Amino acid sequence: MGPPPVVTGVSPRDGPPGTRIIIRGENLGNDPKDLIGLKICGVDTLMTAEWKSSKKIIARTGPGKGKGDIIVITRSGGVGSCTVGFRGFFVQIGPLQDSAVWIDETQTVLANLGRGRPSSPMISKEDEDPLGISNEGNRAKSEEEMLEHFPDASGNLTLENFSPAWYLLENHQQASFDDLKMGLSYMKRRSSQQSEGPITFAKANLSGILDCLDSLTEMCEKFAKDDIQRECINSYAVSLMQAKSCADGLFQEVLGRKDKADATRNALGVLQRFKFLFYLPLNIERNIQKEDYNLVINEYIRAKSLFEDSPIQVFQKVYKEVESQVMKFKEMLQEKLRQPNSLEEQKKLIKYLMSLDIDNDPGWGCLLSQEKWLTKLFMDCKDSNTQEIQEEVPIAPPRHKASGGSLGLSLQAESRRELQEEAPVPPPRHKTAVVSSGLSLSGELVKVTSKSSDQMAGQKFKMPQKVVFVEELTDIMGRHFPDFWKLGQAYFSGSLHKEGGDKSYKPDQNKHAQFKQMVCEILRLFSNLLRAAFLPNSLENLSEKERKMYGQWPENKRDVPGAWLPHCVRYVRSCASSLCRLDLPSDCQACVQELALDMRTNCMFTLLKQAIADVRSLHIKETWIVELDDEFGGRTQLPALFGNIVNETVQHLHEVVVQNKTGETEIFSQRPVQIEATKLCTELLQGFAPCLEQLAFSVDKPNTTSTQSADLTSGSSELVMESSEDHLPSKDKKLIIMLSNCNHTKEHLIPLLVENLNKHGYVEMNKVLRSAQETYEKLDKKLFDSYVEEKSNPIIGSMEPNMYRGRFDWANYKRVNGVRNYLKEVLMGMIEIHAEVFSISPLFVSRVMTKIVDAVAEEMSRLVQCVTKFGENGAIQARLELLALQDAVALYRSAATRKSFKEALDCLTVLTQDNKKTLEDQLNKFKMQFKFQLMCFHSDTGEISESKT
Amino acid sequence: MSKAKTQQPAVIHKVIMVGSGGVGKSALTLQFMYEEFVEDYEPTKADSYRKKVVLDGEEVQIDILDTAGQEDYAAIRDNYFRSGEGFLCVFSITEQESFQATSEFREQILRVKNDDNIPFLLVGNKADLEEKRQVTAEEAQHRAQQWNVPYVETSAKTNANVDKVFYDLMREIRSRKMDASKQNNGKKIKKKDSKRKKCTIL
Ligand SMILES: Nc1nc2c(ncn2[C@@H]2O[C@H](COP(=O)(O)OP(=O)(O)O)[C@@H](O)[C@H]2O)c(=O)[nH]1
Ligand SMILES: [Mg+2]
Repeated sequence: MGPPPVVTGVSPRDGPPGTRIIIRGENLGNDPKDLIGLKICGVDTLMTAEWKSSKKIIARTGPGKGKGDIIVITRSGGVGSCTVGFRGFFVQIGPLQDSAVWIDETQTVLANLGRGRPSSPMISKEDEDPLGISNEGNRAKSEEEMLEHFPDASGNLTLENFSPAWYLLENHQQASFDDLKMGLSYMKRRSSQQSEGPITFAKANLSGILDCLDSLTEMCEKFAKDDIQRECINSYAVSLMQAKSCADGLFQEVLGRKDKADATRNALGVLQRFKFLFYLPLNIERNIQKEDYNLVINEYIRAKSLFEDSPIQVFQKVYKEVESQVMKFKEMLQEKLRQPNSLEEQKKLIKYLMSLDIDNDPGWGCLLSQEKWLTKLFMDCKDSNTQEIQEEVPIAPPRHKASGGSLGLSLQAESRRELQEEAPVPPPRHKTAVVSSGLSLSGELVKVTSKSSDQMAGQKFKMPQKVVFVEELTDIMGRHFPDFWKLGQAYFSGSLHKEGGDKSYKPDQNKHAQFKQMVCEILRLFSNLLRAAFLPNSLENLSEKERKMYGQWPENKRDVPGAWLPHCVRYVRSCASSLCRLDLPSDCQACVQELALDMRTNCMFTLLKQAIADVRSLHIKETWIVELDDEFGGRTQLPALFGNIVNETVQHLHEVVVQNKTGETEIFSQRPVQIEATKLCTELLQGFAPCLEQLAFSVDKPNTTSTQSADLTSGSSELVMESSEDHLPSKDKKLIIMLSNCNHTKEHLIPLLVENLNKHGYVEMNKVLRSAQETYEKLDKKLFDSYVEEKSNPIIGSMEPNMYRGRFDWANYKRVNGVRNYLKEVLMGMIEIHAEVFSISPLFVSRVMTKIVDAVAEEMSRLVQCVTKFGENGAIQARLELLALQDAVALYRSAATRKSFKEALDCLTVLTQDNKKTLEDQLNKFKMQFKFQLMCFHSDTGEISESKT
Repeated sequence: MSKAKTQQPAVIHKVIMVGSGGVGKSALTLQFMYEEFVEDYEPTKADSYRKKVVLDGEEVQIDILDTAGQEDYAAIRDNYFRSGEGFLCVFSITEQESFQATSEFREQILRVKNDDNIPFLLVGNKADLEEKRQVTAEEAQHRAQQWNVPYVETSAKTNANVDKVFYDLMREIRSRKMDASKQNNGKKIKKKDSKRKKCTIL
């Protein structure tokens, strides 16, 4: 025989009957069969034993009571021993408590009966403390004493008038507060364990219960065997039934009370659990007020899932109320959705509606109402503005011209303020129109030419209605259309529905097309409204009715002034480009892009025309102040002004119109635009010519005193003429000034301007250059010819009479005595011309002088050839004079001049040696005499350097 | 059977395992008792173990009461503690809270036993889980010094220092018992704390 089993460990070491324990030790058997006995507290529990190893057995305790041994018996080791034991105790089984083992109730029941108390359903054993604190210390107070303190109470847990204070004083007077706290948590745990229910209990005590059943059947069989008459068993049955009914009777009351309590508890629980439903109507209302719609919806959905099909009337009633509230809520949301709102807000509303299970498609509905709303906004905007313009007092046309400069800007700002008052939506503040100084120049023109400036100052400035209109309309567009489009995108991408719940909407292809249609409609409306205002001609193909719909702007009023156009264009363009960024279908936004392009083109043409007009009226700006310039000769400021207008117009146009933004059509890509632009450019460049011409030939008051011979001696390089009308230069002086201007324009300015235009994308500039230069060429010729004629006529006209002054006779001339005065006068006249031209423009000197000299030489030659007879001295005199003249103007001799001289000299007889000498002497004498006067003819450059020094 | 019982040595050292749930009290006990290590965690209520050991050449019995760490049972711990002669106050070095809880256990023991020099070991278990350490040896050592008790780190898994803590504790108990029998010849240590606060509702 092997070593006997020893139990050295038990877990747990105590418990009620049926406790599952782990027994550990040594030699607890070699295998399950080796284990042949297990006694715990003297009760055989082999049936429950589960052999794990020779060191470990798991078993359940039986109904043994008190501390006892755990004895293992094995076949191999015999009866064992133990160093640890198990303490079995009876859990207090109350009358209503489940128990898997037999309980001897006689004691408790009888005791309770004896004391006339109902047995407690809660506490199973009197001496077990509900707090789990062991009863230590004696009772400090007697019952009588306690009654004194608590007259109506009792320390009995089972009684209605139970007083916890009494109980604690009675049983735990000495317990510390901590112990009491621990006791409380112990009690809580216990009560929660009790509520776990009978199934867990039966599970945990399965074997015990089966044991009980087995024993009962066994008992019954044994009885049946013994009881031959079958009377006994019947009488047992009868007794049992009686006992049962007796017990039932006994517990009826208790059970009834328990049932009632349970029912009440249930009801309370239900109320507690569903109180949210009863509060729901109130809560919904509150949350709607707080705009916490999500919460409303969540609560509603929760209520719906819980109570929609609830058969309970109370719930039905409240739920109906909730339903009707939610119906109203839905309507409110739908109403809200119909109203304009931010995109996010709308998406939210749609999601709310979706999650509320709205049957119709709220997203689509919203899109529809948005379209209507947008259309209405556009139309309203148009109506209010056209109306405004009708009501406008027919005052002077909007002072666009005044918009140049700071005055214009401040006025504009003011009008904006005014605008803000009537429209809640201030137009987006783009760069205000920058009006070039070229345009402000024309502004001054208007002041001078047309309306009196007084009237203008008195008039309240107002932004042209159309400009207001374009600002408002583009603002509406920019503000609301993207939202509309994005909402549509969201709708079709399904992102509106994602959170909407189970329904998965498939974007209906039909609706997709419809939406696109809507977008196109809106954009077309937008562009046509603007067209009606700015480009009414482009709507010509439409029916009268349609045109009416797009708004009729009074024709008689002056059109939007050019200075405002860039402003408008800017609005339209930025609107178009923001649409571009939205990734609209290209065919939809085409009309807006076209509109933008047309607006640009229109603006460009208008501004160019404006510039042409400005250029053409430049002549009134002439001050006749000539500034000398070594390179190009003298000129007034007019060419520079002309250049400025052109350049600034080009620059301005480039900034607002020509320059392309991404996605825009190149403005010069259209052939008609090219042609028109080129045409306008040509006109613009040519426009200066009439101006010059007009100035050159302008006949002013016959007061030409101030145009007296230019004062050569003054030596000043700047001829100051007072700009007052009384001190205008003489006619010929004007001619030469304008000639110089014209030349400068032709040679210098035009190429520069053309280059600039070219640089900015204007096409066919060669053509423009050519035609412009042709124009100026013509003007140049005309001016030049007039000038030369103007200048040479007096000299030539006076030559013949002067030559024959003092009854001069070539045939009988006595003595050759130097060059005669007439020739000196001719020379002086030429010097004077030289000086005048030189003072304006040295460049022209040679050109003018050649022409003059030519004419003089021709006249001289004619005169000489007309002489019928020369005397000897006469011939010498004639030769002397011819040679003197020839010599003096040698620098400006042309072929024709040379020919004239030759022909004249050929008529004269050949000189004798003597005469030759005389001639030479006389000639030298003249040269000496006139040395200084003639110096100017010697060399232009020499002259210039001399005049400089 | 009675013969077997008489063979048991008369001296029994009663050891109580205390500490938060899950720190390894049962694991230490079972390792000491049966050289086995249980991986799965089953909350203890109150387990009893007793076996014969040889302590410094003398045969004695060690009685181990493995208690519940859970505060659920805090109320009934008083009763257990009263019977204990020495305490292994276990915490897990991988769990700071369990270390904090040792103070409460110590307080409760001192209160119940009313003896500042009760044999007591502070045991930091699960020393094999160094990488999960939350309680440094220093701070544990520091606390042990404050209490004037030894601090030992153990591992029920690797059996490190397991025997040591039980034997050290038994030695302490033995020497205490010897002191006590010398001093209190006949006199009994007063078990009840007369100074315990009274409930002062009245
Ligand atoms: N790694 C490791 N795990 C341990 C150690 N001691 C106990 N455990 C584990 O920790 C868990 C709790 O152990 P247990 O002894 O039941 O803790 P008790 O509540 O204090 O009795 C169990 O899963 C054990 O396997 C140890 O030293 N090392
Ligand atoms: Mg444990």
